[in-house]
Amino acid sequence: MSISYDDIGDNLRRIMITGRLDMPGTDSVASTLKELVAAPKKGVVVDLSSVRFLASIGIRALITSARAVEQRGGKMVLVVDGGSTVLTSLVATGVDQMIPVFKNAADAEKAALV
Amino acid sequence: MIDPVAKFSIRVDSSETRRASTWLGEAGSARGIPADPLLRLDLCVTEALANVIAHGGVRARASPIRLRLDVRCSASGGGASVTVSDAGAAFDPLKAPPKARRRTLAEAEMGGYGLLLMGRFADALDYSYSEGQNHLTIHVRWDQDKAS
Repeated sequence: MSISYDDIGDNLRRIMITGRLDMPGTDSVASTLKELVAAPKKGVVVDLSSVRFLASIGIRALITSARAVEQRGGKMVLVVDGGSTVLTSLVATGVDQMIPVFKNAADAEKAALV
Repeated sequence: MIDPVAKFSIRVDSSETRRASTWLGEAGSARGIPADPLLRLDLCVTEALANVIAHGGVRARASPIRLRLDVRCSASGGGASVTVSDAGAAFDPLKAPPKARRRTLAEAEMGGYGLLLMGRFADALDYSYSEGQNHLTIHVRWDQDKAS
């Protein structure tokens, strides 16, 4: 399980998560994710394309993060692999209706800054 | 010939769920469950365990959670099920009212996603309560031609 980030210009932060967002995995990255999305960036892209397992605890962590970004006037979007179980999890729970989901990073970065 | 049934137990603690996933991955692969149905089964078992850990209460924590894997393979495909048994208060997840869909983050529910995921990834779910135990059985099936 790992979490890292890079800042693209002054307004955009890209956060990359790898591994399993199950209970232990989410517990291990949740506090770092909370800190990273708190930065005063307009757009936040959370890249889940290297996550192979997204459980409900991970979904709650994503909602909490997106809500925090929204409350400070920013926008959080996700990048996931098309056809992956991660995308299926997001669609099955309706989270894709609340947090925009993209299949490539370039589209996600544009959308996060709109 | 490998036994089509495998059993395992864990303590009622979130740190134990990864051990259950590891066991399921190894036991399922050894019994010929393809990668996709095995991942779906893993997701559903994870959610079932999360439910017991979060809501099972003192009674659940007094006894281990027991897992039983049953695998049936044939030339054309197969099926597998995992029964999760716990000593918590009787709770039939199949009768839990569905959460209303929300479209904004401000309205978003923070619960109920595990049941939605199980409903999506399992091919069937069964629940029973007997001898002081909840028994939730998660079924997945596959066609050999389509299995990854």
